[in-house]
Amino acid sequence: MTTPSFREIELLSAYADGTLSPSDAARLESRLASEPELRAVMDELRVARAVLRKLPARKAPRRFVLTPAMAGLRPPLPRVYPVLRFASALATILLLFTAAINLVSNPPALGFAAPAAAPFGGAGAGGAPEEEPPATMQAAEAQIEPTLETADSARVAGTATPEIMAKGFANEQPEVQPALRVPYPWQSRLLIAALVLAGAAWLVRYLNDRNWRANLQRTKR
Amino acid sequence: MDELALIHAAQKGDLDAFNSLVLAYQDSVYNTALRILGDGELAADASQDAFLSAFRNITSFRGGSFRAWLSRTVTNACYDELRRRKRRPAVPLEPETGEGEELESPRWLADPAMTPEQELEADELEHAIQHCLDALPTDFRTVVVLADIQGLDYSEVAVSIRAPLGTIKSRLARARLRLRECLRGFTELLPAAFRLEEESRI
Repeated sequence: MTTPSFREIELLSAYADGTLSPSDAARLESRLASEPELRAVMDELRVARAVLRKLPARKAPRRFVLTPAMAGLRPPLPRVYPVLRFASALATILLLFTAAINLVSNPPALGFAAPAAAPFGGAGAGGAPEEEPPATMQAAEAQIEPTLETADSARVAGTATPEIMAKGFANEQPEVQPALRVPYPWQSRLLIAALVLAGAAWLVRYLNDRNWRANLQRTKR
Repeated sequence: MDELALIHAAQKGDLDAFNSLVLAYQDSVYNTALRILGDGELAADASQDAFLSAFRNITSFRGGSFRAWLSRTVTNACYDELRRRKRRPAVPLEPETGEGEELESPRWLADPAMTPEQELEADELEHAIQHCLDALPTDFRTVVVLADIQGLDYSEVAVSIRAPLGTIKSRLARARLRLRECLRGFTELLPAAFRLEEESRI
């Protein structure tokens, strides 16, 4: 017989793996005993198979474990974040509440545009999703402004908050009435508390996220 | 935890459970990629991609051989890498001569207590085998790597490359024959048992 056909080579290869049925294997074995060409190819296949199987395995050069960022997971929220956020929201609600009381008891005779609440705008740009809607904060501030304005012009108390004054909306409104039921320090404190708490929440989350990313980079290396 | 429990946990999004699987399979995955790609750096990248893709698609594993399922992911990652390399042929195929950890003696998994001589021999044989593997068409190389180097059975290889059993058998037979032909040029590197057999036939 001449060189084995490819069909025969396939059979021999499968035989080397022990995947032939017993009857096919027996038939092939009897042919192997009588056909040296077939036997020669069988040896070739066996050597190739055995050399490959003897090839030692390499160690992985590094750990391929996935970090949460690689897996597309979000960084865990710092524990204090919801507390700060809740406190900030609470301060805002109280502020609105007192402003509403003030409005009802002493309606302002004017409506000038309030500037955007800067710290909240900053928090939004920083990527931390703030719960407090800026519109309500603006509304709240708009309510405070006339109150402060009137209080200032009436010289009722000498402790005007520098934060509010610094915003530069001190348009003189001499005709505002001086009578006030709710004292302005209460509202300005609430406003400061809301802003400080929101700022702290943003800062805590920002630092936490930055830390988290830094850790990822380290484990990735 | 056994493998199935880890897989189920990973399917529910448990990254730690998945990472346990990564640690169990990373050497096997890396070796598959290394033999298909013939380059340590590319193989490491492909392995990382494979595990990432495995995590994202782990819900598509519905029982059977996890090793085979994972092998399919690695094979796909390797094919992606080969396509990329074709597009950017500037990537060096033999980074061993450049700087990097490849200059150190290779870290073998099978026997960490090899003597320097044994390591050298293993190194030379490895280069010879890799040279011959690289000369094979990709589809042949993949089948022979999965079957003969990773020790997958025919049905597992069939799952890995999504091909019928008949295709696996024929590619494996052709690949083995071509490899044998190529290895003939490196007879002196072959382990003694194969050399004797060779000489006795001549």
